[in-house]
Amino acid sequence: MNDPTNTPMNPRWRAYLIVMLAIAVFIAALYVPVLRRRLHQAKDVPTVSEEQARRELTQPSPTNPNGPVAKARMYWSAGARDGSLMPVNVDLPLAMDPAPRGKQVLNTLLAGPIDAELRTLPPDAVLLAFYMLPDGTAVADFSEAMATSTPSGIQSEQMAVDSIAKTLEANVPQVKWLKILIHGQEVDTLAGHLDLTRTFLVNAKATPMPQSAPIQKSKGAIPDSTNPLAPPLKGGAGASSIVGAKKPIAPSQKLTPGSAPGKLTPPAKNP
Amino acid sequence: MFQTRQGNENPSFDDRSAMANAQRGAVFVSIHVGSTGLPGTARVYVMSDLPSAPDTNGLIPWDRAQAPFLPLSRRLGDMVQGFLSQRFKGSPLNAQAAAVRQLRTTAAPAIAVEIASVSVEDRNILDRMAPGIADAIARGCSGFRPLYVVAAVNPGDRP
Repeated sequence: MNDPTNTPMNPRWRAYLIVMLAIAVFIAALYVPVLRRRLHQAKDVPTVSEEQARRELTQPSPTNPNGPVAKARMYWSAGARDGSLMPVNVDLPLAMDPAPRGKQVLNTLLAGPIDAELRTLPPDAVLLAFYMLPDGTAVADFSEAMATSTPSGIQSEQMAVDSIAKTLEANVPQVKWLKILIHGQEVDTLAGHLDLTRTFLVNAKATPMPQSAPIQKSKGAIPDSTNPLAPPLKGGAGASSIVGAKKPIAPSQKLTPGSAPGKLTPPAKNP
Repeated sequence: MFQTRQGNENPSFDDRSAMANAQRGAVFVSIHVGSTGLPGTARVYVMSDLPSAPDTNGLIPWDRAQAPFLPLSRRLGDMVQGFLSQRFKGSPLNAQAAAVRQLRTTAAPAIAVEIASVSVEDRNILDRMAPGIADAIARGCSGFRPLYVVAAVNPGDRP
């Protein structure tokens, strides 16, 4: 009895099958590079992280969207891999008050340029609060991601701080100094190298803050009582700059502990 | 030469400064590989300006120990950077200023050398840079030495 499965294939059908297979291989050979290109493009599209999505939902808009649109100047990386920055004009309905205005421009800076390669700040970082102190010090409080996701290194950390300082200088004329906090706390360094215990000079010729406004906070900022910055700024060693100028030290300011530290005695270690 | 760490330990900034500050007539060089920068280049950083308000007790405040040494640090930094730029094309010609935490509490001429970068695909590229980096630092320190001997008499005085 003949088994139908053992019947040899008709030579004509075999030829058809071979031709079909050859065509399939040919089409696949043409299509694979297209697929590969699409895969690369999909990889380049920045994905919206959870924190970014949360930021978009939770950040209150500090301005009247019907207000006049002004050209805000953002400083992102120039892409030269030497730490240099490039100004980019962005149309924004900028607020008149320095605190909400500063928050607006920093949020725009955080959102990043069109080319993600030119970012200066990590995409996951969130601006938690932005204050203006009466002496013209802007206090920018960022989420933990600012410290954990900034690439470690002097150049990369300096570029991050420079981009914040230059963007504030270009858009908020009242900002004289910049103090950066991470989650409401002063930290030693941004990502292991750049000193964040100091304040950074933004604009030595800043417009003085109005006397009637002791501390300006942007919307959504933490209450004054939780602001850990005010006392350290008055008495801390916050006289420094990123461009070489010096912040004058008031005679009453104490820059050393009450008890003499002895000759270069290191401070007590933090637990 | 005195190393502030021998292996994969992580002494604090103050611990490292304490070790450096205990040496007499020393220079402090911090070397690390950065995350960014043109691969195959090296940059020298010195501390940006620090206030050096004179204290009535005549002691140098720990938090600003670098302040009296800034001019010397800049000289040392420029010398080392000069040799690095000869060795590694694309490196800057002069040392740059930055608020480097480790340098702030160091009471000696102090520089930080950042090598670019961890982003290189082949680690051998960085390994091959090591002798050139060491040579540039050694030559820079050697050229700097006559300047420092004069200053070492009273390191608190600004030249």
